[in-house]
Amino acid sequence: MPSPLDLADLPFLREALLELVLLAITGGVLGAWIVLRQLAFFSHAAGSATFPGLVAADASGVSPMIAGIAVALGYAGGVQRAGRSGALGSARDATPRDHGEGTALLLVAALATGVILASDVFESGAVVDRLLFGTLLGLDTADLVLSAVVAALAAAGALALGRTWSAVGFDPDGAHALGLPAGHADLLLLMLVAVAAVAAIPAVGALLVTAIYVLPAAAARMLTRSIRGLVSCALGVALAEGVVGLYLAYWLDVPAGPPVAVLGAVVCLLLAVTGPRASLRRQAAA
Amino acid sequence: MNGTAVRVEQLAAGYGDEPVLEHVSFAAEAGESACVLGPNGGGKTTLFRVLLGELEPTAGRVELSGRPAYMAQTERTRLDFPVTALDVALMGTLAAGRWWLPPRRPQRDAAAAALERVGLADLAGTRFGELSGGQRQRALLARALVQDAPVLLLDEPLSGVDPASARLIAGVFDELRAEGRALLVASHDVESARSFDLVLCLNRHQVAFGSPAETLNRAALQATYGHELIVLEDGSSTRAVTVQHHDHEHES
Repeated sequence: MPSPLDLADLPFLREALLELVLLAITGGVLGAWIVLRQLAFFSHAAGSATFPGLVAADASGVSPMIAGIAVALGYAGGVQRAGRSGALGSARDATPRDHGEGTALLLVAALATGVILASDVFESGAVVDRLLFGTLLGLDTADLVLSAVVAALAAAGALALGRTWSAVGFDPDGAHALGLPAGHADLLLLMLVAVAAVAAIPAVGALLVTAIYVLPAAAARMLTRSIRGLVSCALGVALAEGVVGLYLAYWLDVPAGPPVAVLGAVVCLLLAVTGPRASLRRQAAA
Repeated sequence: MNGTAVRVEQLAAGYGDEPVLEHVSFAAEAGESACVLGPNGGGKTTLFRVLLGELEPTAGRVELSGRPAYMAQTERTRLDFPVTALDVALMGTLAAGRWWLPPRRPQRDAAAAALERVGLADLAGTRFGELSGGQRQRALLARALVQDAPVLLLDEPLSGVDPASARLIAGVFDELRAEGRALLVASHDVESARSFDLVLCLNRHQVAFGSPAETLNRAALQATYGHELIVLEDGSSTRAVTVQHHDHEHES
């Protein structure tokens, strides 16, 4: 069994650890809002939706990070517009509500475009691997810088917009009536989540973005009763799962993403079965 | 707060090409209360959305003496959201702007005072979803009170409320009128409309507007509710009862 201190001593593990810490900060802060605003599907889809951008960037020599962010921001804007315009739902919905249908529709469009580009226009096999799986052991400085910037933006966004996100999530009609910039706040949340998903792709891949941004907050949701407690707890859970997952990956000699994801899922499952809410459900049923 | 609080002239509104409300003209003075009666789909919520500035009228004019406060129906709120009664009342302070800053002492004091006024001071720290139906309505009323608005729009504030909460809410309404605020209350309850200064009957257009004595007659109520209205006559008095499905998904 390797020493846990190797995580700090070995340079490649140290970089991976730093990346996971930065992603955990984003996951703690944004994850709480992803769970509260029911954006888990969107957070999962936003990373995958960058597929056509990454393929095109790979073929044209453009930075994949810039292409990914551009596509992710466009995706967030499209999803928000689809939800608000009533194009996919009731024309009466002027306030932010469920983004599920827009997320699915635009994800399918993005993936179809990416598949056509990857198979018929460009040769992009490596891009697909990198997008889907990522690798924590091979990050460059730009990846770490992006994660740091996203963590700072997430923290600043949550501080400035947390009350508005809360009012909109609790009662969309009431929030609009308060004169809040509900639509803009909603768009900013989607954009932050989308960019955060792009920042996590190099480390864990689009398939496991949820492990970083949703599972810790979902676990924390079962342990806490306030938004502030949820953010703090999600941050702690994300950090713990990231560090333990990285150590397991090092010990078992596997990519880091899957252990982090499995750990997150197991923690959620255990809390769902044995946590305080499960006890309350059992008491209510008795 | 003297003078006209709300004035609506020849208002028409709808969604896309679908007109939902037409030919609506009424006014309420400061300190007056108006009950907005109508069936589901009659245009009550559409009228409120126009008054709140959420929906552009397709015709007509709306004048308000200030930004109105709005009390939504509790079923439109998320009971699983981790906010307390105090958090909900504090949301009302966001209407003053500066939504990017955390609440300060005066705002917390205002929210606490509003909760005290609706009798929820002892439950300030209780999660909204754990309050009873009547207590939730009172928490939403506290959110509206915090806004210190000259006009309050209240969407079925007594729907599903226990008698104690209903009495308390009615008492707060009287205080608000005495303070010179105008109240517009959407309701299905024809009988309770008799206690208001004014009644506006809507059924996709304005059926009647005036004092309860002028508007709450058989002809106007049947034009408003159609087959959803049952008139009970026992010789000395006449009571009108509406048969409602309470399907707010389809309400407009």
